Amino acid sequence: MAESSQASAKKNAQTREMRDAFGDTLVELGNLYEDMVFLDADLHTSTKATTFKKAFPDRFYQVGIAEQNLFGLAAGFATEGFIAIPSTFAAFASRRALDQLAISICFPALNVKIPGSYVGVPTSRAGASHNCIEDIAVMRALPNLKVADPGTGAELAAVMRRSLETPGPVYYRVTRYGVPELFDDGYEFEWGKGVTLRTGSDVTLVGTGVMTHRCLSAAEALATQGVQAEVLHMPSIKPMDSELLRRSAQKTRCVVTAENATINGGFGAAVAETLSESCPVPVYRIGVRDQFVESGGVEDLFEAHQMQPRHIVQAAKHVMEMREEMSSWLVHT
Amino acid sequence: MKLTEDMCRELRDRAFEIRVLSLEMITYSTWGHIGGSFSMAELLAVLYFHAMDIDPNQPKWENRDRLILSKAHGSPGLYAALASRGFIDRDRIYDYCEPGGLEGHTHTESAPGIEASGGPLGMGLSVSLGMALALRRKENPRSRVFCIMGDGELNEGNNWEAAMAASHYRADNLIGIVDYNKVVAKSFLWEAMSVEPLADKWRAFGWKVIEVDGHDLQEIATAVHRARWIEPNGTPTVIIAHTVKGKGVEQAEFNYKWHTHAPDPATADAMLRELCRNYDKPERGYSRLAESSTKESFYGGE
Repeated sequence: MAESSQASAKKNAQTREMRDAFGDTLVELGNLYEDMVFLDADLHTSTKATTFKKAFPDRFYQVGIAEQNLFGLAAGFATEGFIAIPSTFAAFASRRALDQLAISICFPALNVKIPGSYVGVPTSRAGASHNCIEDIAVMRALPNLKVADPGTGAELAAVMRRSLETPGPVYYRVTRYGVPELFDDGYEFEWGKGVTLRTGSDVTLVGTGVMTHRCLSAAEALATQGVQAEVLHMPSIKPMDSELLRRSAQKTRCVVTAENATINGGFGAAVAETLSESCPVPVYRIGVRDQFVESGGVEDLFEAHQMQPRHIVQAAKHVMEMREEMSSWLVHT
Repeated sequence: MKLTEDMCRELRDRAFEIRVLSLEMITYSTWGHIGGSFSMAELLAVLYFHAMDIDPNQPKWENRDRLILSKAHGSPGLYAALASRGFIDRDRIYDYCEPGGLEGHTHTESAPGIEASGGPLGMGLSVSLGMALALRRKENPRSRVFCIMGDGELNEGNNWEAAMAASHYRADNLIGIVDYNKVVAKSFLWEAMSVEPLADKWRAFGWKVIEVDGHDLQEIATAVHRARWIEPNGTPTVIIAHTVKGKGVEQAEFNYKWHTHAPDPATADAMLRELCRNYDKPERGYSRLAESSTKESFYGGE
């Protein structure tokens, strides 16, 4: 009995939802930054910002179900020198309040840090309206806005800390999902810096957010088949670590990307854009393929959208074949 | 709050100057909104030369009053007021809509005294409320946040989210001003989407309402005084200023065809002379008429 609950506790620690790290880190930062104000659009128990509400009730503004006003208020607070955190689901941050975000906040580069909660496939069973797949594509199109998709709880905390130290607007994703921790507590996130989690020379797997963990699983499976995959983790989507990407692509000459979002204009697209300008190699993007993510269980949805580790394995083999095919083009030309 | 004769004369001159500078900048840039700049000229004159506590030499002075132009396409009017008040050099108006110059719609980086970036309509009241709440946090009881809204942009839902929140948060340091000129970009407001009964709407959202003739300097000054010093006791106040779009130049008045319409230099010259006559000023035409032929032509673009 004791052993079983111990095992369960360990499992919980490993797979603690990232939104719990969000709630804890908010309080940590609230203690450090007295000029940080939190604005909530009636979702604090879902986003786990209740921690901040309890710790700093005077700095917690409930704005009701009004996301456009949420972002306008954030702009006003930031204009007056506060660090404003407008909090809602990513779907509403990137869709309902996009104009406010773009012109009231990003254009004047105001000090607003935006957590987008409930991102991608693993959210709840709420369906297409709430499973936000377009935020990476939308947010990375906005000038002055930095964009991050942290892969674990510790990294989310590191992104949040760095965001508070970073002038100007920042958008980061908060996933309602737990993955085994990859980083220790001293881990520091840097804008424009990726992390090499595994070295290899046959194929590069580049993940962002929680998909990096699936890239690692895929790399293990590939290793059993004699394929040595290099695994890069890119929590900083904008700016992107183009140098790390280029170096790896020069070595492996084929790349698979993986993101918990639509591939249209998203992270994989950003990687492909970067590589096409510096080191053109075949790139295959794992992610949601021009579909809404409807209601369903988490693993069922990862399966339905072909975002399991085995799909990354298949994609790796596909780009390796493309690389060979492209070599033959070069021979004939 | 009775304006002295001298102050009335001064404010009338400033309203005239705001119109002249607006027209000069719109004509020279070949783009801009005459109608909405002219309709609020008296409002801007009273605010920038009488009512607001501001210092052009310290545009970020903490205890200043703030003004957000939610109808940010009225930027020529606001830039003109800032130039007239000494926040920016007058020659800068000829950089309107030029790279690195005064941005087409208001932008904080364009000029000192611009408190918010804008353009998409219906967003300024939220930003203003955020500033008003922030002033409360900073324990600044004196500064007020003025937000000039267009009447047409009250079709936007975001305004009413902000209106609801302002009374919820008892933001009586926020003063809304509606430039109710009854004309939108392509038609009369009542044809496009009526906002009536407008005063009742604001009252229903928990605001105090003062209605004025938006070209009567004394009425405006009294209303702003009331909104600032008499009404604040836990509710925000809105001044509904009944105005005439394009006020000051006959062909632009109450005419949606002059919402976004830059006059060609000859028309601008005639308009400026008409303005001078209306204000009993020595007749003076478009100052850059001579060089206008070298300017890329985009006159009248909507």
